[in-house]
Amino acid sequence: MEDFVYFFTFQDPSIAFVVIGIILLGVGSAYVGTYSFLDKKALLGDAISHAVLPGICVGFILAGEKNPLFIVSGAFISGALATFLSSWLNKSTRLSEDAIIASILSIFFGFGIVLLTIIQKSGNPEMAGLNQFIFGNAIAILESDVYIYGGLAVFIILCLTVFQKEFSLLVFNPDYGRAIGFPMGMIRVTFNVLLILSVVIGIQAIGVVLMAALLITPGAAARFWTDRLGVLVILAGTFSAISGVLGTYISFVIPQMPTGPWVVVFLSIIALISFLFAPKKGVLSRYLSRRIYLRKTHRDHLLKLLYKGIEANKPGLPIAEIHEAFPFQKTQTKQSIGNLSKDKFITQNQLVIELSSTGRSEAKRIVRLHRLWELYLNEYMNIAPDHVHDTAEKLEHLLSPEMEELLESRLNFPKLDPHQENIPRD
Amino acid sequence: MSFDQNAFLIIITAAMIAISCGLLGVFMMLRKMSMTGDAISHAVLPGIVIGFFISGSQRGLEVIIGAGILGILATLMIDWLRRKARVQLDASIGITFTLLFAIGIILINLLAYKVDLDQECVLYGEIAYLPIDLWLTKSGLNLGPRILYLSLLNLILVITFIILFFKELKVTSFDENFSKVIGIPAGLINLSLMSMVSYTTVSSFEAVGAILVVALLVVPPATAFLWTRKLKLLIQLTIAIGIGISIVGYYLAYFFDSSIAGMIVSVAGIGFLASALFKSKSFLSRFGTSRTSVSFEKTV
Amino acid sequence: MITQVKNPILEIHDLTVSYDQSPVLWNVDLSLPSGKLIGILGPNGAGKSTLIKAIMGLVDPSGGYVKLFDKTLAEVRSRISYVPQRESVDWNFPASVLDVVMMGTYGKLGLFKRPGKKEKELSMESLEKVGMHGFANRQISELSGGQQQRVFIARSLAQNADLYLMDEPFAGVDMATETAIFELLKEMTAAGKTVIVVHHDIYSAVNYFDWFIMLNLHLVASGPKETAMTEELLSKTYGGKLNLLTKVSDLIRQKEFNPLKN
Repeated sequence: MEDFVYFFTFQDPSIAFVVIGIILLGVGSAYVGTYSFLDKKALLGDAISHAVLPGICVGFILAGEKNPLFIVSGAFISGALATFLSSWLNKSTRLSEDAIIASILSIFFGFGIVLLTIIQKSGNPEMAGLNQFIFGNAIAILESDVYIYGGLAVFIILCLTVFQKEFSLLVFNPDYGRAIGFPMGMIRVTFNVLLILSVVIGIQAIGVVLMAALLITPGAAARFWTDRLGVLVILAGTFSAISGVLGTYISFVIPQMPTGPWVVVFLSIIALISFLFAPKKGVLSRYLSRRIYLRKTHRDHLLKLLYKGIEANKPGLPIAEIHEAFPFQKTQTKQSIGNLSKDKFITQNQLVIELSSTGRSEAKRIVRLHRLWELYLNEYMNIAPDHVHDTAEKLEHLLSPEMEELLESRLNFPKLDPHQENIPRD
Repeated sequence: MSFDQNAFLIIITAAMIAISCGLLGVFMMLRKMSMTGDAISHAVLPGIVIGFFISGSQRGLEVIIGAGILGILATLMIDWLRRKARVQLDASIGITFTLLFAIGIILINLLAYKVDLDQECVLYGEIAYLPIDLWLTKSGLNLGPRILYLSLLNLILVITFIILFFKELKVTSFDENFSKVIGIPAGLINLSLMSMVSYTTVSSFEAVGAILVVALLVVPPATAFLWTRKLKLLIQLTIAIGIGISIVGYYLAYFFDSSIAGMIVSVAGIGFLASALFKSKSFLSRFGTSRTSVSFEKTV
Repeated sequence: MITQVKNPILEIHDLTVSYDQSPVLWNVDLSLPSGKLIGILGPNGAGKSTLIKAIMGLVDPSGGYVKLFDKTLAEVRSRISYVPQRESVDWNFPASVLDVVMMGTYGKLGLFKRPGKKEKELSMESLEKVGMHGFANRQISELSGGQQQRVFIARSLAQNADLYLMDEPFAGVDMATETAIFELLKEMTAAGKTVIVVHHDIYSAVNYFDWFIMLNLHLVASGPKETAMTEELLSKTYGGKLNLLTKVSDLIRQKEFNPLKN
């Protein structure tokens, strides 16, 4: 508990810097990564993250120490080389894109490992810092780091925000952009530069292997909550920031734990929650929509049943008969009866259910839609009379008043459906 | 130069691993699932750690089973994300493997008191220790390096798998819809291929690490594909490349005193890029063999 | 005009199929005679490919069923052959022409058995029938569009089936190939096989086929030329006046689940 308070009230300025650092890194990566995700090239970020390793090592070798300038430059050059090679291979060979990305990723990484082990064997004490690039250690972020990496992160965020129009064109419809005169080639190069930059600064916190998560997961999660690009990117950044801080906290409390994995775990939890519970797109929400829809259709069917009873000169139906009409759906039927009573569509007189006046118009409407649709299926689509019922049964709940009008006018206000039943109107 | 037994053992083992990975990798590449292979080799990490943990200090069946389960779990997760949760494919792969790998790293740290795996070893292995990590039977008989036998077993199983299901692998990789229609259980073939990849990853990771397994899965087949379109030749070339990079990689690593696995991959990389350059359209049209053809396609 | 047939080789009953959330085929009811060359026609997006895929069990219908030889697909797989669209495959795959054609024999071989002399002979015969005998060892990446199509057909011939379903076999193919393929299909139906073809071009269709299936999200007509290809039916197929249907499909697509599925 003490630790918690100590951490979050930023009594220790170095912690404050760490938190600021990781928030900036995380947000920057989330911003760029989200565009990558929308471009359906999410795994390119993964390749670049692995590919910067040799550059980091070379930078270290040349500087003799963990000098940020050398390391960032080295990583950048390495990443740029990997990106260039990927597109060159794409154009000049017939290898598929996934094979190219996987090859570049592992080759550069392998080469990076060679350099890393050479450095390790050389016994340079500074090299302990290098290991952090593989798994991430946010706690090691110094004040000086924050200015450099944080500065770059701010630059990335600004760039993407100011040029949102251009980058969204790049991702959604580059051909159109080219057609209306935007310099799409230049924009693509700029985007790649921003991507590489964000990888270079992000691996501080999360490490080379897991960097892909920082790029992909926030955007994938945020996508489930909104369709608007501006909101999407901000939400992704928020998710990233939250996970970053929580992950850092764990690293703080349990010193031997690297930060990277914990940030990924928190990001994945947020993602899972988004996939399951986001309104409209979430798994749960879709399931519930379907359930609600099915319940509505059941209520509609019940109303229809009562109306058909009236057509057969039975003003009301006993509850038992209603239940019989829907075998195996006892609870469902009870629920529907309850709901319909509440909405005053039906009235209950001892054991007999009758339609109220509002109930009657509603029932009439549904029956009308059903029969109109049957007629349409039969007349316009050549579907046999005995096959139209099922589809009509499913569609009667969907059709809107405008559709109803269209149907009526198209069919010329018909009197009878394919089964020779009356089409009821007011 | 006298015959260096240690070098020989290491090179043989590395070559066997390269061949196993390469054989499976050919089909992964043809199915355009190279990145899924990458994902699986990361995803098996928690299974390896838990297997280590359960089996105590004996590395054995538990680890392989753990990895196998994780491999299948990863495939199922990617599938669930894509179909039920409706997340796009590349994101499904990325989210799944990073999460599972992260859990693996956390477990290594949490269970460090009982599991003697270290993070770096997981990434790039240390095949240099091979000659001293011996398989001693209860009666004290020295049968040679443990990993050698693991790799040999792996190789035999992979070769058997490929021979048994060669035509099924071929047709499902070329035309999945057609294969389903003629009654081939395409889903099962896919799952078993993924399982073989998981098994191979775990069998090899002590020697070359999880991430370099990916390189061995992807790079030799990709290189071979630049040179030939005949499947038999593709496979033979992949095997040859696997052996070649093991030999060259070992000696270079010895010379530079670096990670052997990393060097093997780097050598593979140089071979790959050189092949790509040599076989690229612009290179061929400028320096190509048919001097009579007009170079109207100057550059790509 | 939908002509139904007694003892049909293929019977489709009240079939509704959705593709990617929106319904593409509504309540299709038809039966087809054996030994005929049958063409499936309709505008883009009419559901032609989807119909073939539904018959082949590659997509699940939301309603209705399909019967082949009066049995389910699983029971009669060995009697049916499928030629998918050419673009559905990456022709850079490392395989020779003979390799691909031999794949047609895999179904009958079953698991574990390797293709042998008998399969090779059968494949070479099939290649002979499409005029590609000399190309047996050529890499498929070196083939032209027409040659690729012939290889696909040879593969289906190697299956030795009774019913053939082909998805746009004449698309993007040179004149010589088109004529050759058509001659081959005519020979096959003369020998008693049934061939169902998704075709893209109404003008050539008139001269090719014995039986016509006209689709436009629903079945407009099914029958011989006289009854299925009238002016009125053609305009119903290609006239594009199904506003209501499109509107309903839109409505359905907006929902996060498919209300037509059970």
